[in-house]
Amino acid sequence: MKENSLWKDAFKRLIKDKMALASLIVVIVYSLIAILASMGLIASDWAKEVGASNLPPSAEHWFGTDIFGRDVLAKVLHGTQIAMSVGLFTALIAIPIGVILGAVAGYFGGWVDDFITWLYTTFSSIPNIMLLISITMILGKGIFAVYIALGATSWVTLCRLIRGEVMKHKEREYVQAAGAIGGGHFRKLFLHILPNVTHIVIINTSLQFQFAIKSEVILSYLGLGVQGEPSWGTMIDDAKLELARGVWWQLAGATMAMFLVVLAFNLLGDALRDSLDPKLKGK
Amino acid sequence: MKGSVLILGILLTLVFGCSKQNNFTEREINLVSPEKISGFDPINASDKYSGNEAGKVYEGLFEFHPLKRPYELMPNLAASMPEVSKDGLTYTFKIRKGVLFHDSPAFTGGIGREMKADDVLYSYKRLADPKLSAKGWWVLDDRIVGLNEWREKYSQAEATDYNEAIEGLKKVDDYTFQMKLKKPYPQFLYALAMPYTFIVAKEAVEHFGKEFLNYPVGTGPFVLPKFDQSSMIVYTRNTKFREKFYPSEGEEGDDKLGLLADAGKKIPLVDKINVYIIVESQPKWLSFMKAKNDMIEIKDVNIQQTLTPENELRPEHKEKGMRLFMLPMLDVAYFAFNHENPIFKNVKLRQAMNLAYDRDGANKLFHENTAFIAQGPVPPGLAGHRKEFKNPYSKLDIEQAKKLLAEAGYPEGKGLPEITIQTRNETVARQQIEFFAKCMDKIGIKISVGMNTWPELVNKVTKKQHQMYTMAWGADYPDAENFLGLLYCPNQSPGSNGANYCNPEFDALYSQATILQDSPERTSMYEKLNEMVALDVPWIFGFNRTDIYLTQAWLKNYKVMEFNHNQFQYLNVDLEVKKQLSKKF
Repeated sequence: MKENSLWKDAFKRLIKDKMALASLIVVIVYSLIAILASMGLIASDWAKEVGASNLPPSAEHWFGTDIFGRDVLAKVLHGTQIAMSVGLFTALIAIPIGVILGAVAGYFGGWVDDFITWLYTTFSSIPNIMLLISITMILGKGIFAVYIALGATSWVTLCRLIRGEVMKHKEREYVQAAGAIGGGHFRKLFLHILPNVTHIVIINTSLQFQFAIKSEVILSYLGLGVQGEPSWGTMIDDAKLELARGVWWQLAGATMAMFLVVLAFNLLGDALRDSLDPKLKGK
Repeated sequence: MKGSVLILGILLTLVFGCSKQNNFTEREINLVSPEKISGFDPINASDKYSGNEAGKVYEGLFEFHPLKRPYELMPNLAASMPEVSKDGLTYTFKIRKGVLFHDSPAFTGGIGREMKADDVLYSYKRLADPKLSAKGWWVLDDRIVGLNEWREKYSQAEATDYNEAIEGLKKVDDYTFQMKLKKPYPQFLYALAMPYTFIVAKEAVEHFGKEFLNYPVGTGPFVLPKFDQSSMIVYTRNTKFREKFYPSEGEEGDDKLGLLADAGKKIPLVDKINVYIIVESQPKWLSFMKAKNDMIEIKDVNIQQTLTPENELRPEHKEKGMRLFMLPMLDVAYFAFNHENPIFKNVKLRQAMNLAYDRDGANKLFHENTAFIAQGPVPPGLAGHRKEFKNPYSKLDIEQAKKLLAEAGYPEGKGLPEITIQTRNETVARQQIEFFAKCMDKIGIKISVGMNTWPELVNKVTKKQHQMYTMAWGADYPDAENFLGLLYCPNQSPGSNGANYCNPEFDALYSQATILQDSPERTSMYEKLNEMVALDVPWIFGFNRTDIYLTQAWLKNYKVMEFNHNQFQYLNVDLEVKKQLSKKF
């Protein structure tokens, strides 16, 4: 039997699962759309009036037009850029916080652990949506406030997981060996333990993404999110009043787009855990 | 076991609660209130819907004539219109004899006693009582000699002394009293027709204490022994109501509409009023469509279900005999500039923005083409609004707008910062500004939306922390002064002039006009004021919106009324028609 590295092995198992593969493709497509949209190659003309207001879906406008006669498809695509960027930046903020605090707490224990445990327990006891609303109120409204608000509220789960995992690993032989040959705390923690808990970070990123996307939609729906450009949340907010007039396409477009990507991230997260977690190997 | 009994109970209530049959024998009318009612204390009836409920039980000295338009004050608890002294400061009121309060345990023997001048003075002092911090205090604030001092004096004291004499509120005899104003203010009489100044009985206030807001004891045409915060309020006819009759004259054409059929009859004309409290628009609409209520106010989403594209009643409703009422409201919706901001001192910029706003487009998108384009601050239906006056800036002219913008020093918008318009945190409000931004984009002006909760918005406007904001102003009383005052310099923030607009010429004429009694002279001054300020475009004038009401065929004597808290006693029901038409529902 030919030996594979851990990552190659995991990847092989991942793509064997058809559902996981499909999810991965969905995520890649969304990412591509987001990149192209942010470069201005697609959906840059979402603000343009392309026809009469509230036209139903047709061959010309696949998702119909909105109240101002703008193409709903273009708005959905632009919303994709917003949603994916929120996912990405939130992850970029939350993951370093969660990993560093979790690792430090787990490794050093004692009062450091007590303090960090107290910090994340306090954070997680505040209802998430309340915290989000108050942070956006303080920072003012707009996309940057959304990044920071979501980043600052979503590191808790990862921190807790990493802490537990690091606690387990620090007693292991390989860490003791590293200590025996003269490795310092920094070396043991960041060069030996962390690479062995990376799978948790990856799984968590996937779940983090979908949490961030959902939260952005909720914030925008409440009028606290993105201002002056379309996001799935503002589209659903618009649709609230349009439904009584039989205009369903804006709601359908935004919810389908959100549904697909959130589902894909969830399935992908599960599949990643299956293939990366050594305890589940071979099942 | 207990649980299942409870569930069974709930199910039974649901089944029988929903299957209430229409009533063809009792003379009752069914109405809907789209807002929760916070209570029946008149001094706090600050919103229209609380006022409407209080107005069934309580009465004021004056009321608006139910049929005549423009709105005309007529004596109600007052026996006649007051005598006004030559200097316009002293008003002598005579009150009606033989008016009885409702029976209530608050009175000795439980029998309502006669209302006298003391009750009127007590009610007005109560509005000023610093301990109660009444929402309606503003209608008397700084108007009556000695009242502010009285309020000030007791604001720190343990209890307020109602027996202390106040110079401006003087009893002459049991049926006569005098009021003395600080300065002439003819609009003052309108305040005595508002729910805030309804007459209450001292015994009831003292007997019920904190619960007074749930036990209304008035002199009005209907009685409600107890308000229990439920979703349905049932009023019954006041059997001891004085002799009051349906008016025998109205506006021209009212007799053709059948509005004078009950002329001279004793009111109230029905025995019972049921008011259902339904906040959501869809259930309200469905309950009307099932003939569960007799009248409905049509708003936003239901407009399309009510009207054809030509703004006529849809045939399926016509067939059921429903009647449509459409009338411009006494209101104006506008975008205000903050005139303290130097860029908006430039009149050409303001004119350019006015000309670039596509009002027809906005009317179609947001009002289903039912609103009227505002030509100035004074809405149609008030003296001071001339039908012939067309504001040259209340129309769409992109070329002219571009030209004016260049003359203002910002060719194609260059050099002009992005302008943020503050509005409420609400879907339609946001869309309206998005639409406005699209219009301004055509001449190169960049606009962004600032969304606020209502208190945040009020705070920004009062503290002058805004570039522009949007607002709609509804009339407190039918006088152009109420609208022109929005642009009077001394009223600037924290007053009602949130635009902080100042125009010395306007201010001078305004202070002359507003102390005059209603007269052709005053009307022409109002017209001049309205048109002068319209051409200076201190706001971007938006719309005068339309009231749309649907009534069932059996509801009689209905006429759209802006200040309608006294209207319900004049309504009638035709049971024969109701029985016949009920088959169609």
